[in-house]
Amino acid sequence: MAAFLEVENVHKAYFLNGKRIDVLRGVSVTIEKGELVSLIGASGSGKSTFLHVVGTLDAPAAGSLRFQGTSVFDLSDAEVAAFRNRTIGFVFQSHYLLPEFTALENVAMPALISRLDKKSSLNRARELLERVGLSHRAEHRPGELSGGESQRVALARALMLKPDLLLADEPTGNLDPATGEGIHALLREVNKDLGITAVVVTHNVELARSLPRQLRLTDGQVVSAA
Amino acid sequence: MSAPQARLQWTGALIASVGAAAIIIGGIRAGLGEALAADLASLLVGWAQLLPPLVGAGAVGTTLGLFAKPLGATPGEGLWLLGPGVVAWTVGWALLAKALQGDQKPVRPPSAAVGAPLYSKLAKAKDFYWDALAAYGFGVLLAEVGFVLVYVALVAPGAGKPNAAGGLSPVWAFSVAFSAAVVVAFIGGFLGAASSKRLATPEATAALLYFGLPIPVLLSAMHSVPALMTSLGYRLKEVVYLSSLLGENRPELGYWLVFAALALALFLGINFGFVANSSGKFDLRTSYEAFVSARHVSVFRPRLLLGVFSVLILGIVPPLIAFAIVSAAEAAADRTRIRKLGLKDPLLAAEALNELKLKQQTPTAMMTALSVGGVGVGVMALIIVLSVMSGFEADLQKKILGTNAHGVVMKYSLDMPEYADVMEKIGQVRGVAGQTPFILNEVMVSSEGNISGSMIKGIDPATVGSVTDLPSYMLPGGSLDGLEDPTKIHVKRLSPPPAPKEDVPGVVPDIERDPMIDTATPEEDEDAKAAAAMPGIVLGRELASSLKVVVGDRLNVVSPLGGELGPQGPMPKSRPFRVAGIFYSGMYEYDSKFVYIHLKEAQRFFGVKGASGVEIKVADVDDARAIMRRIYDSLDGWPYRTKDWGEMNRNLFAALRLEKLVMGIILSIIIIVAAGLIVATVIMLVLEKRKEIAVLKALGVPDGGIVKIFLGEGLQIGIAGGVLGLVAGLAWCFFIEKVGIKLDPQVYYIPSLPVRIEPVQTVLAVVIAVLITFLASIYPALKAAQVEPVDGLKSE
Ligand SMILES: Nc1ncnc2c1ncn2[C@@H]1O[C@H](COP(=O)(O)OP(=O)(O)O)[C@@H](O)[C@H]1O
Ligand SMILES: [Mg+2]
Repeated sequence: MAAFLEVENVHKAYFLNGKRIDVLRGVSVTIEKGELVSLIGASGSGKSTFLHVVGTLDAPAAGSLRFQGTSVFDLSDAEVAAFRNRTIGFVFQSHYLLPEFTALENVAMPALISRLDKKSSLNRARELLERVGLSHRAEHRPGELSGGESQRVALARALMLKPDLLLADEPTGNLDPATGEGIHALLREVNKDLGITAVVVTHNVELARSLPRQLRLTDGQVVSAA
Repeated sequence: MSAPQARLQWTGALIASVGAAAIIIGGIRAGLGEALAADLASLLVGWAQLLPPLVGAGAVGTTLGLFAKPLGATPGEGLWLLGPGVVAWTVGWALLAKALQGDQKPVRPPSAAVGAPLYSKLAKAKDFYWDALAAYGFGVLLAEVGFVLVYVALVAPGAGKPNAAGGLSPVWAFSVAFSAAVVVAFIGGFLGAASSKRLATPEATAALLYFGLPIPVLLSAMHSVPALMTSLGYRLKEVVYLSSLLGENRPELGYWLVFAALALALFLGINFGFVANSSGKFDLRTSYEAFVSARHVSVFRPRLLLGVFSVLILGIVPPLIAFAIVSAAEAAADRTRIRKLGLKDPLLAAEALNELKLKQQTPTAMMTALSVGGVGVGVMALIIVLSVMSGFEADLQKKILGTNAHGVVMKYSLDMPEYADVMEKIGQVRGVAGQTPFILNEVMVSSEGNISGSMIKGIDPATVGSVTDLPSYMLPGGSLDGLEDPTKIHVKRLSPPPAPKEDVPGVVPDIERDPMIDTATPEEDEDAKAAAAMPGIVLGRELASSLKVVVGDRLNVVSPLGGELGPQGPMPKSRPFRVAGIFYSGMYEYDSKFVYIHLKEAQRFFGVKGASGVEIKVADVDDARAIMRRIYDSLDGWPYRTKDWGEMNRNLFAALRLEKLVMGIILSIIIIVAAGLIVATVIMLVLEKRKEIAVLKALGVPDGGIVKIFLGEGLQIGIAGGVLGLVAGLAWCFFIEKVGIKLDPQVYYIPSLPVRIEPVQTVLAVVIAVLITFLASIYPALKAAQVEPVDGLKSE
């Protein structure tokens, strides 16, 4: 049986002022279904780049990405968009909520994009907000939420369509330790209760240790950190 | 790129352009159209092409001498340039392609990635999408050929001539053929973009150049190459006729306009194909797209709409002052309110401050309001100006139809002695509402004060009222009765004549009358008697004032023809008339030119038997042509002929229509400027929303969805502006109609500005505005779709 997620020989470089920065140099890693993986590495080592490539938000120079056997890079633009919509949930370092919409609408957005019924989507969004403990903030705009609240809304949004894979890029980077711990607890809960595979980038070594599998990005390679 | 390659590239481009120049110059020297050269030149000048009054500028190209044929050149000369030109064109492109393909020297040592599978999107990249080229080229070509064939097949042979039989009228045939061609071009663009899944601009350019241009070029060339005209012109004569309807003897203009429309259809098709297909299937649903774009621009806010509307209605300054007053008052009130709240509970004050901050507008919101206002002003101006022009046209038509008949029956001969029989036959034709015989001629009219050239018309006072409104145009103090019976003409008196006394007929020795004014001396009495014998004449107000005559005055009518033969040839013939009445139609043309006398007097004066024709009034003005045709048939045609009012005033109405078209084009430029504003606004929105675009993409919105979101934003601005402009324009028209804007009577012949709202043209103005704004937002929307998710997410 094909692995859940198979990243193979991925190369990615940036070009700045005529100089080439090799960020990913042949990254290969396999992640199985239901795993909860932490990814650590020095700042600027390419963790975000790796996550973006895996999340199909960025194009690598070379390499392949297989999700449950299908080669994701071979899909058409439209299929990739649908793949992102249905299969992947993102949580970024800063929340990236849409400022014109209420927290509730933000959470429901993935469902609206896949053209599900608006009313039932909003109902599900309300449940999710309740789950992350923010039902009293449903009608607030992102500008009126604190950093921790926004990040919880973003997590609820990522879970809206029950994705198979959750990619979190330093979700607690901008938060105080206590709030950050709350987010991590939520992630663990999601992984355990819903069986969602998750890759969490963090530079909180302690938090990383507490997760079942630990990876480290060094010299453009992903290695096991255990 | 290395230096030699760059040199090769530029050499290739140079050779290709020399080739193009050779083709053009060779073609023109071979006689392929100075007109075309002139067009190209005026195209370079800019808008000149669109404005018929400026078309003269097109001559610049020819006068420059650049394309002028040398004197005595044979038509074939210059043809030899075509061959080398084509060769140079091809070679140039080949060099260019080689230069672009030439492999670059690797500057860096091989990286660690050598050997890894290339990112598959890159691996599958193609340098040219032949299928897209095929779809575009075939689409354009098919559209053009189809247009010509369908038009020729549908249109009635010999359309435009009165005896056209079978087939559709040119307008209908054109509409059908044109719609079909537009659909074909659109489908071509759609399929091409859908198959290549991209906009494929190089392919579209090549398709238009190699498949689209030949036919219009050939058609344009046809007009200056006799050989082509003889072989093709006959078959395409309907098409030539059609395009010559547009601009007098400039049929090329028509071809190129159609070509431009087809190119636009292709462009639209490409965009729609790309948008629809990039989301996987032909997806034109807009559920979340509409939701998101409505939040982005939020154009339908009462405050914004009200503000723009009041600017449209009141101008810029009054609403600005009102706005300043209101916001000053609001600010002052808010300050005290917040301070009071703060004294009670500081947190309440903080909350109020926060609310105030939320109300503040972003620069984009200002831009949105400006764009809505721009479109609104354009639409409003278009509606008002077109309605006023329609008003003038309707007014003119009413006046022309009031003073003129709806049609005339004439004969190929000087007189029509049998006019009574003719009138009887005409009377039986359905749709005829009135008729009157007439004699028309040109004369000089002289009074003691002045002399003027005039049209003289002999009329039958009994029936003339059934055809024109002349009787109702008569000013008080005179009437048409004086034509029939000259004794009814009021004699000029400064006080009303006393009732004649029963017992003393004739001269009235009355001491109560002022001898200086009224008492008729014996000679005056003599004069009056002679005058009573003089036939009456009716003339227009302007003519009367320039001749300085009033009712009862004497006039001499002088005809250059009809007199006896004198020693130096025919003598002018002169006869005195007495002014029986003065009319005022409101048409300067008539009031200053026309005089009316009795038909019998005209018969005698000009030696005409019967009448020179019969004027007709029809029941339905718009049906005049058909009714006149029926009259023609009932009279068995020759030697009779008929004309309706449109034909009688063809130049006038054509000029009016042309003027309206030009005004429409000029005002559309306002809308195009507003569309530029929309482009700027939507681009600002795109820049402002880069992050949101990235997030939406990360959430799974395909490129097509992003395009739809931003198209929706442009469309909202267009619709809001269009509707506001419509309402404001109609309000203004209503105002002008009800309240009226007085016109200077010295200059205009109408007391106040006329308006006539024509539903079709009004709706068209709004639709065109919305369409233009929609087209304008295509470019920024495509730009928005090109935002890479990572770029947006890293922009912080
Ligand atoms: N758009 C870019 N252009 C140039 N260099 C970039 C760009 N994005 C990231 N980099 C560089 O690539 C490296 C990896 O970045 P990133 O993946 O964000 O690191 P991390 O998330 O591990 O901190 C850094 O050195 C960064 O400077
Ligand atoms: Mg990072």
